[in-house]
Amino acid sequence: MFMEYAWLIPILPIACFVIVGLFGKKLHEGGGFVAIAGAAIACIFSVLVAYDFITNGVDGIFGAPFVTEMKWLVFPGSDFVINFGVYIDGLTCIMLIFSSFISTMIFVYSIGYMGDQGEKKPRYYGEVSLFLTGMLGLIVSSNFLQMFIFWEIMGLCSYLLIGFWSFDHPEAKQKSSAAKKAFLVTRAGDVCLMAGLFIVLYLFGSLDYANIFNAVAIEAIAATNPELLTVAGLLIFGGVIGKSAQFPLHDWLPDAMAGPTTVSALIHAATMVKAGVYLTARAMPLYVFNSVNGEAVLLFIGIIGGFTAIYAASMALNNFNIKKVLAYSTLSQLGYMILALGAGGFLMAHGYNTGEEHLVALGVLGYMAGIFHMLNHAFFKGLLFLCSGAVIHATGTEDMKQMGGLFSKLKVTAVTMLLGSLSIAGFPLFSGFWSKDLVLEAALHAGTHGMTGFTVLFVMGMITAFMTAFYMFRMWFMTFVGDYRGTEHVHHESKIMSAPLVVLSIFAVISGFVIFIGFGNLIADMLQESMGFFWIEIESGMDIAISIFTNIWTYVSIVLALSGIGIAYLMYMKKSVDPAKFNKNGESAYYKLLTKRYYFPELYDQISWKLGYGIARIVDAFDRNVIDGTVNGLSGAVIGGGDVVSQMETGHVRDYATFVIAGVVVLILVFAFIFIGGI
Amino acid sequence: MIPIELVLGFAALLFCTGLYGMMTTNKALVALMCVELMLNSANINFIAFAAYNVFADATIGNIFVLMSIAIAAAEVAVGLALILNVYKIKGTSSTDDLTTMRW
Repeated sequence: MFMEYAWLIPILPIACFVIVGLFGKKLHEGGGFVAIAGAAIACIFSVLVAYDFITNGVDGIFGAPFVTEMKWLVFPGSDFVINFGVYIDGLTCIMLIFSSFISTMIFVYSIGYMGDQGEKKPRYYGEVSLFLTGMLGLIVSSNFLQMFIFWEIMGLCSYLLIGFWSFDHPEAKQKSSAAKKAFLVTRAGDVCLMAGLFIVLYLFGSLDYANIFNAVAIEAIAATNPELLTVAGLLIFGGVIGKSAQFPLHDWLPDAMAGPTTVSALIHAATMVKAGVYLTARAMPLYVFNSVNGEAVLLFIGIIGGFTAIYAASMALNNFNIKKVLAYSTLSQLGYMILALGAGGFLMAHGYNTGEEHLVALGVLGYMAGIFHMLNHAFFKGLLFLCSGAVIHATGTEDMKQMGGLFSKLKVTAVTMLLGSLSIAGFPLFSGFWSKDLVLEAALHAGTHGMTGFTVLFVMGMITAFMTAFYMFRMWFMTFVGDYRGTEHVHHESKIMSAPLVVLSIFAVISGFVIFIGFGNLIADMLQESMGFFWIEIESGMDIAISIFTNIWTYVSIVLALSGIGIAYLMYMKKSVDPAKFNKNGESAYYKLLTKRYYFPELYDQISWKLGYGIARIVDAFDRNVIDGTVNGLSGAVIGGGDVVSQMETGHVRDYATFVIAGVVVLILVFAFIFIGGI
Repeated sequence: MIPIELVLGFAALLFCTGLYGMMTTNKALVALMCVELMLNSANINFIAFAAYNVFADATIGNIFVLMSIAIAAAEVAVGLALILNVYKIKGTSSTDDLTTMRW
């Protein structure tokens, strides 16, 4: 009974966008409370829709998708129709709830954090509301085209918000170039996605989820046209690489820290990068039922995810910018999610192709792990970013070398950030612990049951877990313990900023327990009923917990996480181990490589300079010389010719008479030649 | 009867006289007179062909000439008025000096 009105969910924030955009200057706090109200109502509505979906099902079938559509574009003479509608299943419910909830928290926090922005406030609240519209609209979309529209709205808003300070700000130039980078790099992925959607449209004759996620249809196409289906899957994943900042299009995300910290929190926790993971999860049937190349594509997805996880984590190890450390950790955690989806999908595909049902069950577990990690990550990363924002707000710097000893001054922030760090590090019973172990388990199973490549990715994931624990606690110790190294006066924390931190920290700690209340069943029902998967069986939450605690690797990962925390403790709190010994005072080649971010920004620059600028110059030269030359030459010839010919006009009547007579004589001669000569 | 060739030859001579005057003179009045000469040579041709025509009614040629003379009268009236006005404004009627309308 609420699901029929689910289309209202994205309407609410966009209404706020309009209100704040038009009247923001007259509203209290630049329309901040309107934005909060919009997000909060959207959140309540999302919960109601999810409750309705989970308790009632659709027509009595639990997990079946709820679809309402209206015709948007009808092409006369063909039965092809583009719809605009709402598609609700388990994944939609999960995404709706956490996106709107975390956005609400971030908006509340923004009242404190952006309080000193004056005239810029309406712009901020308008843009974040539109951003939320993009995410919620993308989640409830019922077809790929509609999803793509909201996908691009988010791309636009990320550009606007990352470049929020690109004027009237001392570092405006650097901010605006970061915004441009984010926009252009994600654009590279978006072009891939659009090409992928064209192929999907060609193959299926429709972009509606309800028509595409059909095992029979996909298998029929895989039998007749496997190459195109594979290319479509890869291109769609290309969009994910751009949006979710996977290697090699990852480099925009660290630079995106140029925006306000609340925007970073929004991009990393609630929206934007989560859209890529969502799309991978959503498009999973296209990979799994592609019996010819599906396993290879899923292995590729897993490799991209696993590699991004360890690669990004390594860059967080020696960074001194508190926001950049968190940005790299987001990249790394997104890698985990993609790895889990790749491994889970691989197991499912392998199980279908070989007929081994227990592999499908393991695959579903891996798939669930990816979404589960996304949910947990949303809470703890949102929390961590808001905490870092509180620290930056108090000290006026992002450089951790200027911090230290803030525990006594920022008690709430310190404690909540500690909880967030424990979650992301995978400390037992905290949320990150559950999902990370499930992710790693999925990679391990994929390795042992099919493709040994996944075993390598599993080992990389383990190492990443260690590195995550180390850099998070390095950050925490550097920020909150020891002596204060900065010069600025430390401001006190305000209540409006602390309250969201406390709420989020509670969720960051307990969100892992959702697997005990039917999270797995929600995903499994969705896969079975919405996406046409079969042979689904999911273990209950308790069984999952038992399998986690009876798995030897769980203890290995716990030990790794604890040792990471321990090493960080020794290095940055007790100072009994000097980090300078390992990096030769910042002179070692690897340390430099990390500070240069593996020369990737330079590579981007080189590509854009050498390739982009080179092509632009060639085109420019062509334009100036060939096209302009032709046009100018033609006009010059006409003008010059006209000048020359006009000299014949003497203005003397007798000359004109001469010309006329000469013309008549010539005509007579010609006619005489034709008629008389012809005879 | 005078042979038609003589009449046509006279008309051609008259036309060439007018043409020669037109091409050589720099006086607007003379040019106008030369135009009249050429027009009248054409009229003579009309008359000649009408008079020597044995197959059809001769009146059509004569009527055409009357028409042509009427138009010539009108043309002269306009032309003279123009020349007079030009002379009033410019102080000359020499066509060599009246070249302001060219490029």
